[in-house]
Amino acid sequence: MKRKASEMTAVSTQPDGRRGMLDRLNGQMAAIGFVLPLIIYLLIFYAAPLLQNMSMSLHRYTRRTFVTGDAPFVGLDIYREVIGSSEFWPVVLQTLIFVVVSLIFQYAIGLALAVFFNDNFKLSGLLRGIMLIPWLLPLIVSGTTWQWMMNPDSGILNKFLGLFGINPIWWLQADHSLWAVIIANIWLGIPFNLVILYSGLQNISADLYEAAALDGCNAWNRFWNITFPLLRPVTSITLLLGFVYTLKVVDVIWVMSMGTGSSKTLATWAYSMAFGKGTSATIKYSQAAVLGSILILVALIFGFIYLRVQKAQEEN
Amino acid sequence: MMHRHSGLKTALGIFFTAIMLFPVYWMVNISFTAKGSIRSGDVIPMDFTLDNYARVLDIQLPNLATSIVLALCCVILTLVIALPSAYALSLLRVRGSRVISFLLIVAQMIPAVVITLGFYEIYNKVGLLDTIPGLVLADSTIAVPFAVMLLTSFMESIPKSLLEAAEVDGATRLRRFTSIVIPLSRNSIVTVSLFAFLWAWSDFLFASTLDGGGSRRPITLGLYAYIGAQTQEWGPMMATAVLSSIPATILLVFAQRYVAAGVTAGAVKD
Amino acid sequence: MRRIKTAMVKTMALSCVCAMAVGVSACGSSSQEASKDDKTIQFWDDWTRHTNGSEFDKLVKSCAPEGYTIKRQAIATSDLLNNLTTAVKEDNGPDVAVIDNPMIPSAVDAALVAGGDETGLKSTGYDTNLEAPGIVNKVTYGVPLGGSNTLGLIYNPKIVGEAGVDVSSIKDWDSLNKAIEAVVASGHKGIAFSGISGEEGVFQFLPWFWGAKGNLKHTDSQARTDAENLLSGWIQKGWAPKSATTDTQSAAWDLFLAGDYGFVEIGTWMQAEADKANAKMIPIPAKDGGVAPVPTGGEFAMVATHKKNAKEHYDKAVKVISCLSQPEKLLKVNNALSNLSAKKSVRDRQVKENAGLAQWEASIEKAQGRTSDLGLKYEETSASLSESLLAALNKQ
Repeated sequence: MKRKASEMTAVSTQPDGRRGMLDRLNGQMAAIGFVLPLIIYLLIFYAAPLLQNMSMSLHRYTRRTFVTGDAPFVGLDIYREVIGSSEFWPVVLQTLIFVVVSLIFQYAIGLALAVFFNDNFKLSGLLRGIMLIPWLLPLIVSGTTWQWMMNPDSGILNKFLGLFGINPIWWLQADHSLWAVIIANIWLGIPFNLVILYSGLQNISADLYEAAALDGCNAWNRFWNITFPLLRPVTSITLLLGFVYTLKVVDVIWVMSMGTGSSKTLATWAYSMAFGKGTSATIKYSQAAVLGSILILVALIFGFIYLRVQKAQEEN
Repeated sequence: MMHRHSGLKTALGIFFTAIMLFPVYWMVNISFTAKGSIRSGDVIPMDFTLDNYARVLDIQLPNLATSIVLALCCVILTLVIALPSAYALSLLRVRGSRVISFLLIVAQMIPAVVITLGFYEIYNKVGLLDTIPGLVLADSTIAVPFAVMLLTSFMESIPKSLLEAAEVDGATRLRRFTSIVIPLSRNSIVTVSLFAFLWAWSDFLFASTLDGGGSRRPITLGLYAYIGAQTQEWGPMMATAVLSSIPATILLVFAQRYVAAGVTAGAVKD
Repeated sequence: MRRIKTAMVKTMALSCVCAMAVGVSACGSSSQEASKDDKTIQFWDDWTRHTNGSEFDKLVKSCAPEGYTIKRQAIATSDLLNNLTTAVKEDNGPDVAVIDNPMIPSAVDAALVAGGDETGLKSTGYDTNLEAPGIVNKVTYGVPLGGSNTLGLIYNPKIVGEAGVDVSSIKDWDSLNKAIEAVVASGHKGIAFSGISGEEGVFQFLPWFWGAKGNLKHTDSQARTDAENLLSGWIQKGWAPKSATTDTQSAAWDLFLAGDYGFVEIGTWMQAEADKANAKMIPIPAKDGGVAPVPTGGEFAMVATHKKNAKEHYDKAVKVISCLSQPEKLLKVNNALSNLSAKKSVRDRQVKENAGLAQWEASIEKAQGRTSDLGLKYEETSASLSESLLAALNKQ
């Protein structure tokens, strides 16, 4: 490794005339060297599944044809079926609500906690660490716990609301199970946002705050004038990743309601068809693959928006 | 000013933590409750028992060890792949970095079932089925795209002046990478490691499809043994979950200490 | 900085170790791979509760033919068929696969399991109604090795007694409703059942559907509406928990165990726990009197399809299944799973030894297979029943 490094230095100290071009070329080579493991990794692990997903959405697969491998090619038929089904648009809407509401609350609460923990007070480090425990729980455990807490007859949430004279809520009733799973999902997502945002806050220089404090800025102004703008790159990556992950959420919804009623999202729908779980035990690989493609497309659009935002930030 | 409110803040912090941790408390509560009473909804384990722990301890400890090895290996693999590429994407202006960013987003959206099916086929041919390395590789696919994206985004905020100064001093790209970029990325490296660890730790799908018959099985498979077709044994399951979160919690709290303020600022002063 | 550097070095070292471990165990496993086919018999089942080293586990392994060892793998019911699909596609399936009965038509249709005409597997001595799900187009694909179970109403004699209800008065739905009402009126809770989405909820729904003279071939009927109204009525009146829409059978049972429910709809497999709780069983009544037909539950041992060395694999599998089907072994297997045996002779012995199980004998002997009439179409029918049941139970 050492020797290689010295060779590189040798190359970059060539006589002046060719140096610029060579150096740039050499720079590209080195950069590619650094990124090569990733490219190989992506090719091995993602290219094949991606193509397979495409192929599955264009052939009509059943359990039998999956095993025998002679699924007939049907073009875009399955896309038409899935998008044309009466369920499609309501599920899209539910997915949208699930993702947007989860994201807003996860981010806002995560940020508030990150700012809160950013001041060093007694036990702050320990408490911040402990806050991550919800993540360590297998989702089957935390999902079930939420389901029990939301039990309409004996759950702790209804008992608590009862103290304020509020009538018991049937949390997981089909018409509003979406809101119940959103609550649990927000809870699940807070540590994710807290960790990334906190780590982002730590990279903001304390000097800036000191200067602002000297200028007589109060905490609220400091947050809006320093913290928030400087956190923008971290914010955009957190939101993008949060978006992608929330779009994919299956486990917690599945454990709580099996994606029945209004809690059905594109992801749980795809899951139930790919594994033959839920209401119908019939496996529908192709329909699941169609939903997979749609989800990939949505993520792509958001990725595009992200890159635009990033570019705008760079230009600022 | 900071110290004046310290006590109050600690109290508030404990309050927030308590709310966040309530479901965790519920799990602990159930793990100490005898089977007949788990659905009684008592806030403390009235029907107290240690049976659940006695039952799971012997069976689950080896699984726990497997999970820890698995998750740590996954962290290392993720960092080995993600760190250099994030460096190239953020600071070396590699051509096609946008395309790669796009691919990373797509990669994260590929349905897990498709990935598992693909992996099974390949693993069966190369003999990686039911092995720990196979599972490490598979689990890393959850974390690698994330790690590259997050690290890239954080590395972009490293002051360019620092790197330019090092270049003038004759430091090669590799040297700039190891002695400037990596130390300055400490916060994000810890963060990424945490996630890689947790995802590998909690994976069930890959474990169930690719390591179902392995002699060493991760804890998630051990947990699911308590969910049968007709019986679900929540007591032992919750006890297993509590046991499994202890070593992981220690690791988390420990790792979180390494997220420190002023990594960048300190370096500039050097 | 220096500290970080040493940390880096450590990380590097650790990753090398890891990479080596990866390499070594990869090699190790491929050498195992070679010997796997020869002397190991792969046995998949969904009895996850019976872990490695348990009594049941030893029982299975005791059936390895001379010179062979059995490697048993327990997989959750809902994943077993999918894992089998993936494995058989790559010709890497187990030798014996134990499959829950409603999934059998699907497994046969996808040729995941091989028929008796090919493997030589025979079903002898099992009750006709209980072996029916394993026989498709007159070919034996599997035998009800795990025994059979079905559903009944288990009640808490103490609570029911306090409410002044005599269970022998429960003859039809009206009298059942009166009994539940009396229990609720006495300050207790009424009845727990599972109305969860999917096959599990449908399994619990069938006794009511069949009890109202429903027919799986024509589900869009008055019988379905009547049965749905009965169950959703319980929830609306507060007799049954609202959580029934998400409760599994196990959850319904836990609610019953918590002590305040008068009744629970549950299956044979909970009998051992029912004995401990001093609970008793009555058959599920039909709408207009008499006993409702109940669905059979239980797993079938089948021979998974192989392409390479098929004959060898099939022989091994059939040997293991035949060994486990011998009366002595079968008795132990069925007792371990707390199911009633699907063989009359074995069942008679179980019933003599176990009064709790004896209560179920009559129900089992009259129980119907879910897929017997419809075959592969059952999946679709079950899905539409589930859909409609959920809509009914969620009415506020």
